[in-house]
Amino acid sequence: MTTALRSVLALALVFVVSGCASSAPPPPPRVQPSSAAITDVRRVVVVTTGESKFTVMQGATKESDRVLDEVLKWVPYKNILVPIARAVYGIVSSFLEGERAAGTMPRDVTPGTVVTDAFARALQASGPFNQIVGMDREPVGDERRLADAIVRLTVPSWGLMRVREGEADVVASFADVRAQMVLRETGVIVWEHEEDVTHPGRLSLEAFKRDRGLTRQELVDVLERAGRRLASELIYARDGAR
Amino acid sequence: MRRPPAFVAGLLVLAGTAAGCATRTVDVGYPAAETKKALLGNMASRRVVVAPVTDRRGDKHRIGASPKDGKPIVTARPVPDIVRDALVLEVEKNGHQVVAAAPGDVVVAADVEEFWLDAVGRSPATQYVGRVAIAVSITDGHTGDRLWSRRYVGIRRQTAQPDSKHAWRDVMDVALARTIRDVATDPDLALSVARTQR
Repeated sequence: MTTALRSVLALALVFVVSGCASSAPPPPPRVQPSSAAITDVRRVVVVTTGESKFTVMQGATKESDRVLDEVLKWVPYKNILVPIARAVYGIVSSFLEGERAAGTMPRDVTPGTVVTDAFARALQASGPFNQIVGMDREPVGDERRLADAIVRLTVPSWGLMRVREGEADVVASFADVRAQMVLRETGVIVWEHEEDVTHPGRLSLEAFKRDRGLTRQELVDVLERAGRRLASELIYARDGAR
Repeated sequence: MRRPPAFVAGLLVLAGTAAGCATRTVDVGYPAAETKKALLGNMASRRVVVAPVTDRRGDKHRIGASPKDGKPIVTARPVPDIVRDALVLEVEKNGHQVVAAAPGDVVVAADVEEFWLDAVGRSPATQYVGRVAIAVSITDGHTGDRLWSRRYVGIRRQTAQPDSKHAWRDVMDVALARTIRDVATDPDLALSVARTQR
């Protein structure tokens, strides 16, 4: 290949890459919490929305990665076969984790409901709101008309996650949660928060597998913790408003 | 043989430098700009003594180990000072007067039980888990009666590059902030402070 042709190809590549880069839309601006707008809110309806995915995330460990690296060292045509092997390894790991999740999830726990109840209880105990009603659907009629604001809670994912690596890996229950407060009359979002919530307790995955009751308890605990944490952040966002 | 003082001093400097290189330092803190009024602000102002924070961590010399090379991660300032400063900021923001020593109306005491950063997995998606656990107690400054005590735990999970100092700091900053916000919005703690006489 001539130098001139290489230069033309390089320039074309730069053009294509820069074109792709400039066409990407900027991320939407994040909603800033407005303590002033929250101040007048007295009656709140808390609604559970969205789907929740249960996962048991073991993920790749240093040891499993090291073994895979060792094996792949001897594979011919590395440029082609190594990425394929890694992709296959990822798919198989993901499938195994899916199987493990299906056998671990407590069927009688609805994560959004547990978070909503804990959130409502924590707000009631803290006092800044006069009325907090938890619901598993959007309010209608008087329920909606009498509310100053609607808080929508989502638990996109929950389950068990490895939180410490070592000779005996330890696992904790977790819940990723999102909350959004919308003024009923105007539809304005006055508060938004998302949080990764992790149970302070840590156990081996084997302990979770052996004892279903313990697993259920740890999962319910972390969902309640998530509800309390969200309430704590909402109270804090009010910035002292009474 | 007696070694000359200059030789000993040189060794000490060398050891100090080596120790400095052997650690990774992160400047963990609690941002004053993000401090807000919470439940402690719903009462008349008190004179509050924030006692020196006791360090009850198992490993007082580090807050974790770098996942890349295993070098100890340390904070730029002593951990008890970081926690105490955060408590002082919260108390002052809520309109109370922090006094240097007794007598005060209220004594806030805290122990740090954990201040730790774990790393799970490896490049390019290392998951960091930061944990801050403190025990807080409220004592009546006039009578010496202990009114309240509770443990608070703040945890933050974040995925980042294996050697990202920014991620280390961010994870610990957020874990600390969550802990302190739980303190600031605890209705039972606020009630205990409100029960003290001015």
